[in-house]
Amino acid sequence: MRKSIIVYINGVRHELEGKAAFETVANYLRYTKGLTGTKVVCSEGDCGACTVLLSRFDGEKMGRVRTINSCISFMYLLDRCHLITVEGLKKVDHLHPVQEAMMKHHGAQCGYCTPGIVCSLASMTEDAINDHIEIDDKKVKNYLTGNLCRCTGYEPIIKAGVATDLEKVSTFSSLYGHAEMVKEFKELSSVDVAIESQNKKVFLPHSYQALFQHGNHANMKVTSGATDLGVLVNKGKIDLQEIVSLNNIQESYQIEDSSKEIIIGAKASLTDVEKACEKDFPEFSKKLHVFASPQIKNKGTLVGNLVNASPIGDTIPFLRVSGAKVVLHNGTNSRTIAIDDFFLGGYKELDLKDDEIVTKIILPKNNYEFKLYKVSIRKDLDISSVSMAIAYKMDGDIFTDFKIGIGGVGPTVMRISSIEKAIIGTTLDQNTFKKVAKLLDTEIKPLSDIRGSSDYRKLLSHNLLLKFCDEVIVESGKTLSEASV
Amino acid sequence: MSVGKNIKHDSSYGHVTGESIFVDDRAPVLGELFVGVVGSPVSKGRLKGINHKKALAHPSCVGVYTAEHLSAKKWGAIFHDQPILVDEEIGYMGEPLCIFASSRREDIEEIKTLFDFEIEEEKPIYTIKEAQASDSFVYKAPKPFAQGNVEEAFKNAKHILEGTFIVGGQEHFYMESQACCAYPMENGQIEVHSSSQHPSETQRVVAEALGLPLHHVVCVVKRMGGGFGGKESQAAPIAAYAALVSKYTGKPARLILTKDEDMVITGKRHPFENDYKVAFDDEGKIEGIKMILRSDAGAYSDLSSSILERGMFHADGAYFLKNVHIEGYAYRTNRHSNTAYRGFGGPQGNMTIESVIEDIAAYLKKDSFEIRRKNIYQGKDLLTPYGQELENNMLPALFDDLYKSSDYQRRMQEIIEFNNKKTGKLKGLSMTATKFGIAFTARFLNQGNALVNVQLDGTVQVSTGATEMGQGVNTKIQQIVAHAFGIAADDVQVMTTSTEKNHNTSPTAASSGSDINGAAALDACNKIKARLSELAKLVFAGKESNDLVEYEVGKGSIDADIVFTENKVIQKSTQKEIALKELINIAYFNRISVGAYAFFKTPGLGFCKNSVEGKAFNYYTQGVAATEVLVDEYTGEMKVMRTDILMDLGRPINPGIDRGQVTGAYVQGMGWVTTESLFYDEKGHLISHSPTTYKIPNVQDTPREFHLDFISNDDNDCNVHRSKAVGEPPFLLGSSAWTAVKHALSFRSKEGVVNLTSPCTGEVILGELTRLKSGH
Repeated sequence: MRKSIIVYINGVRHELEGKAAFETVANYLRYTKGLTGTKVVCSEGDCGACTVLLSRFDGEKMGRVRTINSCISFMYLLDRCHLITVEGLKKVDHLHPVQEAMMKHHGAQCGYCTPGIVCSLASMTEDAINDHIEIDDKKVKNYLTGNLCRCTGYEPIIKAGVATDLEKVSTFSSLYGHAEMVKEFKELSSVDVAIESQNKKVFLPHSYQALFQHGNHANMKVTSGATDLGVLVNKGKIDLQEIVSLNNIQESYQIEDSSKEIIIGAKASLTDVEKACEKDFPEFSKKLHVFASPQIKNKGTLVGNLVNASPIGDTIPFLRVSGAKVVLHNGTNSRTIAIDDFFLGGYKELDLKDDEIVTKIILPKNNYEFKLYKVSIRKDLDISSVSMAIAYKMDGDIFTDFKIGIGGVGPTVMRISSIEKAIIGTTLDQNTFKKVAKLLDTEIKPLSDIRGSSDYRKLLSHNLLLKFCDEVIVESGKTLSEASV
Repeated sequence: MSVGKNIKHDSSYGHVTGESIFVDDRAPVLGELFVGVVGSPVSKGRLKGINHKKALAHPSCVGVYTAEHLSAKKWGAIFHDQPILVDEEIGYMGEPLCIFASSRREDIEEIKTLFDFEIEEEKPIYTIKEAQASDSFVYKAPKPFAQGNVEEAFKNAKHILEGTFIVGGQEHFYMESQACCAYPMENGQIEVHSSSQHPSETQRVVAEALGLPLHHVVCVVKRMGGGFGGKESQAAPIAAYAALVSKYTGKPARLILTKDEDMVITGKRHPFENDYKVAFDDEGKIEGIKMILRSDAGAYSDLSSSILERGMFHADGAYFLKNVHIEGYAYRTNRHSNTAYRGFGGPQGNMTIESVIEDIAAYLKKDSFEIRRKNIYQGKDLLTPYGQELENNMLPALFDDLYKSSDYQRRMQEIIEFNNKKTGKLKGLSMTATKFGIAFTARFLNQGNALVNVQLDGTVQVSTGATEMGQGVNTKIQQIVAHAFGIAADDVQVMTTSTEKNHNTSPTAASSGSDINGAAALDACNKIKARLSELAKLVFAGKESNDLVEYEVGKGSIDADIVFTENKVIQKSTQKEIALKELINIAYFNRISVGAYAFFKTPGLGFCKNSVEGKAFNYYTQGVAATEVLVDEYTGEMKVMRTDILMDLGRPINPGIDRGQVTGAYVQGMGWVTTESLFYDEKGHLISHSPTTYKIPNVQDTPREFHLDFISNDDNDCNVHRSKAVGEPPFLLGSSAWTAVKHALSFRSKEGVVNLTSPCTGEVILGELTRLKSGH
């Protein structure tokens, strides 16, 4: 058992015990290390000013450097990682080419978002070199979805990103040389970590077996990416006292892809899920694209989003209509249940016992077509007003199967079976859908809140169903004489 | 030569490396305390008692400070009506009631929960309508802006439209929340390092709150992580809190608001509800218009009177109004006290008439460009509603040039064809304008001073009252000074702003930072150059100086024959030259000053609001933008597809920096009218108090296609180097995204007119589409 975490920061080894391990990464950097380049604005992972770069030891080597929000990440989650901050981008007096481009193209005005922006762009250049990707406007925007800037209107930053001289970029592994940390981390692979400070405890088992040996009980919070928990802690809404993190369980990161299904481990990041689903679930992959920022997706997990069970959880409508299965474990027994049985109907009410954790989600390849919708005040990186997923099969013009899940209109993401029944067996037809959509009037009773009034949410659900119909008509090669709205 | 060049921002190296120091990046000092602010749990009421026993019992809590600890109870940018800490009457939810000091940063949140308040709650006023009904004002404009006879115009009108234009407020969302470090100095002095646009005001409020004379308070501003007007007045009480803790404890004190606290405590852009009635002919020519501007000032007056007036000054937009009548009222409500925000009321005035014109076009089934082109200031029609003639009018050229360069005509045709197809999507295109008056309308603020010190190695340090918040004022001043001495920009350093070097400074606001402080810096350079020129002539003439005889130059004089260029001073007539550095050393050894202080005031200004006469503005910065949007009829979602902007910025001192100001202002303006929605619950809590719930534009919201150009204009001879101010004017162009949505929706309107409020979130758009289609 180790009583400290080991993390390299800008190439320098750090061993943290006690209180320091429980600090947010941003606070540790700023107030303990004096690395004040990393800024904190929102403390909730929504602005990106705190963006830093993280490379995790994957059992063999240091993994790809990816961005995370340091304000909602805790130091204990960084065991066996290399953390690179804005201060670590330049070597001696050699600026990173992204930094040079940002200066030249007036990408920085007030400078407060700049360190985060520079880190996000640096991760883009890292991917571009490793994956041989060309950089264009669209790429740059995708890497900056998680970074707010209030001064520039982004245009100069996009220019800087596109103008970055990739030939001058040295990858972080060549900049820092990872041999030494890999050697040390390998030796630590089969050791559990437990840290205590005052009333707080964190346990980082190296395997599921170790996790269950240690025991899992109601007072203990199991965390994976902590992208939601981090916010709750920062905003004083929760006081985490006993934490178990899946962070050091290498097998939990796995995604297995077979001809029949994709099995997604509890710690597989949404970034990896987005990639893994590109071929068989392209609609889902595309939705994950606008789901959240790269920073959040690099940390957040599909299992986390499921277990958090928010009625506006963006992946849940898809999971509910895709026939996904949930794998649960309590150390002695394992059970696999259908996603519809996992949700018990009430607000955050799940068939998840105190001693159980979700270890996997199974996505069966059932040859459904999918259409996924998400409507929010802002298109990207925003919480839904309404989200909708439809899985369907057609034989010519006739719907042979139809499943619909809607989020944001009730205490949980809902399947609407009356609509499903009404559609199955009918022909693709605007009037049918107009009639069927009326069923929503009695089926859903959304709340009014900051993301939309009850009436608006009803109208949205209604119109999304019509939109689905119109889109399928257009995609089937027919002409749409007039839209349904 | 430096002026006119696209050199990099003077802080850019620090920004991209993370080395730039903001207030909370300042190194900790031994014994430093952390300040927490405790806000009101009600929107209106009387504070009868504060129970802080539990807080004081907390091991980290060093002290609690209330209004009783203050030497002055109230502050205010114009009228002193806002409590620094509430002593009796509570004006809004979250208003600071008391502050405390903690020895540990991480305990602030916990200590905050340990206060109990005894409050007699009263019924709050939340809306302009409620305030109107209870006659609750902070200010009424003393006289309407009026020309011609508007009632006569209504009588003879062919067409009349009337209604109310409703536009919401806006959170500044500067990335760096309000912040201050206060340090106790010797002899009872105090030094505050503040994230402030107005160091002199901050100095004064700190001095008054602490009961100190002004010469014992220094306010230092290195830079801000964004300001946008939100740190013009509001930085001052924050600094006073930190300073108060410092005074009572003798320790340095640091106050860093969290984003959530900042959004709850501080004021925002004023919401407006403007009534209008417009008369026009068959061609869309405006015959007469009456506008009554009503703003929600929030709980205190702050800058609301001036903001309302700037709204009135810009209610004409870019359009000549022969018969016009504009009134203005600022209402007192129980919201955070609304304050300066980029445009300062101008956008709310301007957007009203742009909305009206969009309606006229839709009503007459004509292209809104045609209506706008007909109504803009042109020919001899140059008299504004407030009696100032529009000089150097670029509007016709701007409209005509952008019409061509944006391919407006062809695209409009395509849009009409597309919208007739009924695909479930609607497109809209609209071109709007900005004609922004440059000068503080309070004349006394149009002054500035500068200190220029030339060092013996030929490098220069310059200090002014301008504060750097990202807008590049320091870079422009750097360029002006470098240009003056004929040296490289890198050889000029703009120093930290501090009230001990530059006093009685005006806020860096009204877009005028570079105009006023740049002109003062240039004047200081010219004083030094006058002496050096005189000296150079003596040197070139072969006059000697030695231990017995010194060069004498007195005040010296600028001489066209002596030029400062490429680190040299050259006498053109003789082709003689000397290195600048050498000349500076000769000056030093001959006891000739190579430093100067200068004072500048914008000449020719003077406007009386009681009689509505005089010259309010030095000049106008003008521009036009054409924005195309795509609206989803199923969901009400909208996307800006293309934006073309053409700006008149005179001769930009730094075209790169000015470009960034324009793109930044446009996108901020676009955010204001599209996704930035302030949401309160029925108790008055601001629910949208963080970026999770308050949505400023994201990189994906920027126009898919973004074109920006400057029109050439060499004639702005009333400003430094013939440049024009840029900070606020392009903000007004963001509203073209909103008028474009109106245009798109007009295709679903039988009578043409669309009742859109701002911001037009998806919910607002879908609501209006539903209303239009149902025909109600």
